[in-house]
Amino acid sequence: MIADILTGAIRSGTSVMLASQGELVSERAGVINLGTEGSMLCGALGGFAVTVWSGNPWLGTVAGGLCGLLISLIHAFLVISCGANQLATGLTIMFFGMGVTAFFGKGFVSQQIVGFNPVPIPLLSDIPYLGKILFNHDPLTYLSMLLVPMLWYLIFRTRLGIILRAAGEREEVLFASGINPRLVRYLAVLAGGFLAGIGGAQLSIAYTHSWVENMVAGRGVVAVALVIFASWKPVQAMLGAYLFGAAQALQLTVQQQGLAISPYFLFMVPYVLTLVALLIVERRKQSQTPEALGKVLAGSG
Amino acid sequence: MSQPTSIAFESKSTFLQRHSSWMIQTAAIIAPFILFGIFLTFYEVNPIELYSSMVATTFGDLYGFGEVLLKATPFILTGLAAALPAKAGLVNVGGEGQLAIGALFATWFAIFYLDQMPALIGIPIMLLAGALGGAAWASVVAVLKVKGKLNETITSVLLNYVAVFIVGFFVHGMLKDPNSFNWPFSPEISYSLRLPVINGTRLHIGFVIAIVLAVAVWFILSKTRLGYRIRVLGSNRLAAERAGMNINRMYFWVLLAAGAIAGIAGMIEIAGIEGRLRATVGTNFGYLGFLAAMMAWNNPLRLMATAFLLGMISVAGNKLEIFSGLPSSSVNILMALVLFFILGSGKLVKR
Amino acid sequence: MKSTSTWKKSSQSIILLLVAVMLLLAGCSQPSNPANTGTNSNSEGTGGGNAQSSDAVPGVGGSAVGFIFVGTKDDYGYNQAAYLGSVAVEEAYPDLKVLRAENVPESAEAERVMEQMIQEGAKIIFPTSYGHLEPALNVAKRHPDVLFYHQGGLKTAENLGTYFGTIWEPVYLAGVAAGKMSQSGKLGFIVSVPIPQVLLNINAFTLGARSVNPEATTNVVFTGSWCDPGQQANAANSLIDSGVDLLSLHQDCMKTVVETAERSGVMTVGYHADASELAPNGWVTGSEWNWGELFVDMVKVGTAGEFKGSQYDGKYRGTLADDVVKLSPFGANVPSDVVSYVEQQKAALLSGELNPFAGPIKDQSGNVKIEEGQELTVEELESTDYLVEGVIGTIPQ
Repeated sequence: MIADILTGAIRSGTSVMLASQGELVSERAGVINLGTEGSMLCGALGGFAVTVWSGNPWLGTVAGGLCGLLISLIHAFLVISCGANQLATGLTIMFFGMGVTAFFGKGFVSQQIVGFNPVPIPLLSDIPYLGKILFNHDPLTYLSMLLVPMLWYLIFRTRLGIILRAAGEREEVLFASGINPRLVRYLAVLAGGFLAGIGGAQLSIAYTHSWVENMVAGRGVVAVALVIFASWKPVQAMLGAYLFGAAQALQLTVQQQGLAISPYFLFMVPYVLTLVALLIVERRKQSQTPEALGKVLAGSG
Repeated sequence: MSQPTSIAFESKSTFLQRHSSWMIQTAAIIAPFILFGIFLTFYEVNPIELYSSMVATTFGDLYGFGEVLLKATPFILTGLAAALPAKAGLVNVGGEGQLAIGALFATWFAIFYLDQMPALIGIPIMLLAGALGGAAWASVVAVLKVKGKLNETITSVLLNYVAVFIVGFFVHGMLKDPNSFNWPFSPEISYSLRLPVINGTRLHIGFVIAIVLAVAVWFILSKTRLGYRIRVLGSNRLAAERAGMNINRMYFWVLLAAGAIAGIAGMIEIAGIEGRLRATVGTNFGYLGFLAAMMAWNNPLRLMATAFLLGMISVAGNKLEIFSGLPSSSVNILMALVLFFILGSGKLVKR
Repeated sequence: MKSTSTWKKSSQSIILLLVAVMLLLAGCSQPSNPANTGTNSNSEGTGGGNAQSSDAVPGVGGSAVGFIFVGTKDDYGYNQAAYLGSVAVEEAYPDLKVLRAENVPESAEAERVMEQMIQEGAKIIFPTSYGHLEPALNVAKRHPDVLFYHQGGLKTAENLGTYFGTIWEPVYLAGVAAGKMSQSGKLGFIVSVPIPQVLLNINAFTLGARSVNPEATTNVVFTGSWCDPGQQANAANSLIDSGVDLLSLHQDCMKTVVETAERSGVMTVGYHADASELAPNGWVTGSEWNWGELFVDMVKVGTAGEFKGSQYDGKYRGTLADDVVKLSPFGANVPSDVVSYVEQQKAALLSGELNPFAGPIKDQSGNVKIEEGQELTVEELESTDYLVEGVIGTIPQ
């Protein structure tokens, strides 16, 4: 049963995890993007549509990422170039994403696609217990697992990572070395949108093989919350996303036990658990918030 | 709202800025309608016809005007629930959940305690119950903020989801109407608890309550010492600390007040139009209120105008669908465009 | 306190404002009490709209027919079925404009949409979701000349009749098929929220399955939403992991569940529409709505001014015999003996020989809910608030 829950954690957590990795990049550069939900929706629809047209889910994945990127470009422009309020703009992006995808997605609701299917990795998937949990997923899930250490390396061990973090912490350092911090922020937001778009595409073309209006259903919002939970660290963000996924799987498993617990309490579990996790983590640290982000979160962005 | 970090436009002369301000603002309002109009023509909808029918239904008769005001009422209140904390430097995106729990408390009181009450006693108590509910829900955010050092933006958003499930739990359980064949909604509240309506419309007195609260919040913020302290806290936390303010206490009470206002919005939805509690009460009203507040730069007086505009667009959405068969979600696009332009132009006009 | 004077001023002004509110509260008109809500209310409008004299014949003389849906029409489910009904009306009456509104929330918002449709010339309106009933009753009160056909409601008015289909009949038959097909006797059922229609279907399905396999159990999972594919996939996977070999559902869309089951080699019993093409291997059968002919007839009766006293004046329930609900085609892998057994049961159901809800029927904790020989009314069936023996799952009390 525990193995089932952990498998479920990865299955349902992957789209959230991809989006939170993207959001993490964006927030490292000092831009919070509540529009992640919108990026995921656009990615889900764009990815699905291109998969329908081309029959190739890989093309769909790239297209999903690009759709997520495009809509985050609006966020980047308004926030970085026009100085608009980040939270309000992000929320507007979320509504925009809902509207645009509902409008253009109408014709795709009943379409069938040949999407990604779980591919057991030879040998590894035969490992008892772990094999089923870790090595029987769709290709995008494997890629998302590889992405995490790559992002960690990129952020903490490369010059690019230093530049990214400097954009969120000390932009005067960047000025001094002749780099335009606004450009860095732009790129970070776009990268974030791209990853969120792939997260949405994972949901539509790998996990569910369908598109319906508003199918992201709050996963993007949770992804943003998880980044703070994760103290802006990729590995923690991954664990957070899997924790959220595990809570989803857990509540479904508990329902099947026939215990006398109202399903409405069980529905709350993933959100309450995320809050509790936030609380526990936040007790331990305070000063890790990227400085520019701290300003936004303090209501003055 | 404080000045954003970049300094791109500050070199412009203030004279030019002052004069262009109105023009930019007007352009920012008109441009999205033009853009959306072009978009509509691709789908064989005549935008001029649509906009004129939008104006005609809004201002054409009392009923239509009432519908828009009706729609704007909760936006004003949830907008205040975002604007007031914003002045103190807090971001409350939890209007959604606070409204839902306010509606839950108000319905609970209306059904279990106020059933036999006359309007003059029952309605104010129900209003207080709604405020209490909203404040109670906001207090979770406030405690997490003050004691747990958790950012209120994130907690308030997450709690919105929880609030909806809590309402769901009650309408499927303790509050389920025994006379509605086990469908998940509460019994109807007593007719004496329904807010008085203006004849010829569905518009109720809740609209006046919203206006009064907006004016009151504006008054407190701009004319009282308390409001001054809130604004100091919002614009310069360090200065507030140095002036000896108890910042955590301020945060706590500001969030509670905001929750109370959103809770009143929930009460008004129940007593004003719904008459009974459903799990879907006020869906998206909290978010739209937040956006209305942002469009108004968190100014309670301007908020009334922006809420009205959002109300007008929402009402037009159904019309658009009935007329032309376009999905009603297409007005989300228009709404977002309007917001993009206003948010984007904020820098240029800056109050 | 240094700030006493400011406080005094502001508190004075707040009191002033409160007094103003109280005055307004007292001065405005209290909404007239439209006595017994719902049943047989004929009272004149509670202010609003263009209320007309109540001797007008509802439904006559309109230029349009309105349909409001709670979801989108493309969801291959509940709303799609109702939408197809509206298309049938469109084709049958070229002179009538069909007005549609999707995603209409189950709240007072629906009232405005109906008012807008009436302004557009609609004299007949189909609110197609259960939550649209109360708003429809309110609008019906204001517009005695407009006829309302509400889908699934149990309350009526002078100018509001309700209609529905006894979908539990095909669901029972599909349950019989499921009981025959399942190897493990463990069936999964994915549902949204615990409303009576949903519980009734779970019960009918389980009774059907247990009529052929008394050991069969149905694992119920609530998702909390009507169409969230991600959550559906979670639920389907979770059920499959726990060992069910057949999945059924009551959701507004079913593509994800059917396809997930097919990929995992698990059978499916559909709901709302025929999705056999999505699961060429695992499709067993399903239950469907067939609103077209009914809607066309209802509009005919309405426009002719014959609503009063017709079968639609009240609570009309179309049955399997009326072809308002039907059993989906069987999947290719369903053996012919199963098909013929289900067909046999269907014949017994049609002839009245078989009554799925014949007592004694016990709930999960063994209490007898339906006594032997008890005839259930429409109201009793459609207000089910328990799960029968053999269902594993909990509903909030």
